[in-house]
Amino acid sequence: MKTKINRRKFVQLSAASSLFLAVGCVPKGDQEGEVVNVSSLPSTELNQFIKIDREGKVTLMNHRPEMGQGTYQAIPMILAEELEVDINRITIEQSPANSERYGRQMVVGSHSIQNEYDKLRKMGAAAKAMLLSAAADRWQMDPADCTARNGQVTNTQNKETLHYGELVEAAAQMDAPADPKLKDPKDFKIIGQPIPRADIPLKTNGQAEFGIDKSVPGMLYASIERSPVFLGKVAEIDDSEALKVPGVKQVLKTSREVFGRTRQGVAVLADTYWAAYKGRQALKVTWDQQGLEANTSASIMEDYRKASAKNDDVQFEKGNADRAFSSSELLTATYEMPYQAHVPMEPMNAIVHVEKDKAAFWGSTQNPNGIRSFLAEKLNMSPENVAINYTFMGGGFGRRSLTDIAEEAADLSQQSGVPVKVIWTREDDQTQGPFRACSLNILKGALDEEGQLKALEHKVVCQEIRNQTGNNNTSIGQMTGGINTEYGVPNMAVKAVVQKHYVPISYWRAVYHSTNPFAHESFIDEMATKAGKDPLAFRLAMMQDHPRFRRVLEEARKIANWDASRSLDQGRGIAIAERSGAHFAMVVDVSRDNQKIKIDKITTILDLGTCVNPDTVKAQTEGSIVMGLSATLAGLTIENGAVVEQNFDSYPLLKISQCPEIETHILPSDAKPDGAGESGLPTVAPALANAIYDLTGQRIRKLPLSLELGKTDIG
Amino acid sequence: MEVTLNINGEKKTVDLDPDMPLLWAIRDFVGLTGTKFGCGIGQCGACTVLIDGQPIRSCTLPVSAVSGAITTIEGLSENNDHPVQQAWIEAQVPQCGYCQSGQILNAVALLEQNPNPSDEDIHQAMDGVLCRCGTYPRIRKAIKIARQ
Repeated sequence: MKTKINRRKFVQLSAASSLFLAVGCVPKGDQEGEVVNVSSLPSTELNQFIKIDREGKVTLMNHRPEMGQGTYQAIPMILAEELEVDINRITIEQSPANSERYGRQMVVGSHSIQNEYDKLRKMGAAAKAMLLSAAADRWQMDPADCTARNGQVTNTQNKETLHYGELVEAAAQMDAPADPKLKDPKDFKIIGQPIPRADIPLKTNGQAEFGIDKSVPGMLYASIERSPVFLGKVAEIDDSEALKVPGVKQVLKTSREVFGRTRQGVAVLADTYWAAYKGRQALKVTWDQQGLEANTSASIMEDYRKASAKNDDVQFEKGNADRAFSSSELLTATYEMPYQAHVPMEPMNAIVHVEKDKAAFWGSTQNPNGIRSFLAEKLNMSPENVAINYTFMGGGFGRRSLTDIAEEAADLSQQSGVPVKVIWTREDDQTQGPFRACSLNILKGALDEEGQLKALEHKVVCQEIRNQTGNNNTSIGQMTGGINTEYGVPNMAVKAVVQKHYVPISYWRAVYHSTNPFAHESFIDEMATKAGKDPLAFRLAMMQDHPRFRRVLEEARKIANWDASRSLDQGRGIAIAERSGAHFAMVVDVSRDNQKIKIDKITTILDLGTCVNPDTVKAQTEGSIVMGLSATLAGLTIENGAVVEQNFDSYPLLKISQCPEIETHILPSDAKPDGAGESGLPTVAPALANAIYDLTGQRIRKLPLSLELGKTDIG
Repeated sequence: MEVTLNINGEKKTVDLDPDMPLLWAIRDFVGLTGTKFGCGIGQCGACTVLIDGQPIRSCTLPVSAVSGAITTIEGLSENNDHPVQQAWIEAQVPQCGYCQSGQILNAVALLEQNPNPSDEDIHQAMDGVLCRCGTYPRIRKAIKIARQ
């Protein structure tokens, strides 16, 4: 390691330092969005996203919580593009939680850029128009004869300039145009560039603040004992030993609601986290397990199999699959996938302080306004009296879109009268859920005489996130997400069988697109084999009328060297999918390495419309692939009604040594942006399973799969 | 009991439960929150600190058993300019950032011992530090930048 700085590094270092200066400091996440701004002068607001001080220093608001997805940088990039300011000379400020000013702020489903893009462009363009009008007023000329660039307005007639700081106060008096003129995308200087992320330097020196790093005066820490069987109720508490632990103050019963079911716990409150945790170890709680302890993963899957024959809702239908099947030779296959935990690296936590007429929350959340309205309702307060202080999240993946942790902290604060910081252990997080659902998929297919797929049925047997309790087994449609109905198959049926179960489930990165495509794209491959056709060509023939899928398949053929020959020790597999509007093809190359299968390379071809920050999109794709691989190679099992795997020692996340070479290609596009945060995840399992088939001749119909040869369960 | 920690070049005396893992002493008593709680059983590496240059999982080490000079992420450099930090920025490694203190300190220890690590060396040294966001390809890249 050299300490001497070479020229290239010096350039980097300077860029990083100026970036760091530009950012100024960590968002404090306070109610007022307090940030130590580089600007020491008061700023004038042109709209809720843009303020400028009289020296011309620009502050742009990021209104979406940051969990790693990178919109902390991408949102200001969109504003800066239309506002015509230097992206490296702005300050980014995290906005307060305020849906009236900022609209929806929840970060789920890769929505932030695709849903906010037009609005943010208009905000930037409207502010620029106001600055141009102010300059035109000053110069007594037509705004059309003024141009804005790089934080200043130029009089095109005499080349005189005024910087934005000289204009902002007058501009703020102008009416904001309702329909400002937007830039032609060919003139973009920021959108489409791999701009370094301003939050990254904060994440290399410990300065970034996460929910778990927050503390408030007078708070107590809580560690909460929970029933291993999910719906267990507290039968008896013996807290005599717990209360002897130095620092332990109180032992309190608490509860939280998860998708319509109440989950009980016993909390130990103490003046340090360690004392609370030790107190919890000393606690003796007897649980009434409600007779649920007989459940196992196998019994759950057996229930699913039994249910598969009945109650199916037809979610999509084209032609008549049943009739086509009756006159043909059928292939049927059943695919199984296990429960998965979210396990963001930052364990669940929240601080809540409930006072007489007001309350405050501090923590990392994907859903700040959801927590505000939840707490307001629970505490019977006006939402204006519930302060939401949100920080960076140490990962979310869907788990932090819920309100249950805040509910526990609020309940304990109400009972104790002081601010309470709840911290879950990793074991709590991994064993309590709610989880990514386990899933049973049953597929049927038939070929015509030319070997084309003439009929396909995909039936999903699974729990439905928004329909977990009660007697209504009608699917509301979400459960069949990720099943590719764009294939040009003349007869197709997609069916859902909603299962009710006591195991709690929730949104997990890519949601049902994390399970259904494994079955769908594996089966498409099986049909290609049956037809004696090349898997890519078989798909391409069915996508002739779908330009985006056709494009990613054609590009995959070229970029991933699909047609290159491979030895007997090599295999190659493909899968395609759509998620949040993004269309992608993935090619996985594997090889035999002694008794193991080695994943050599994963190549993804993405068409996701306009790409705001290609480096962030690549990072998100890498992350989706790594998370998808973890879920392909490991899963949770249920025994005695509870999760067996307690921590990372038994539920292994992918490690760096297992991470293959990842190559991501973003296809150029001027179309509206699609979601980028889950691209690649849906295709990992099927593309890998198809590659393993290519290598070994064995189909994989059950996850997790093993990369040890001879150990894969072919289902 | 009173324990004096030599941390980032300063002596800090704290009065705490001797069983308390070093992690919670650093976070809740010394007040440095860059060292993170991830699993509590030494399996994820988010809590890594350097003790006399060695990467140690602070979540399983009782504070009473600590001897030596502790370096946390806050003590690695004054201005975020340690070559490994700079490489991390250049390669745009972090996503959520939560595990990165542990990643960086493990990489620092690796490069101190082996200034020119191969992929195999990197995998061996870094395998115990988990990243749920999947920043591994960029961690590999950053370590190679830092070794130059």
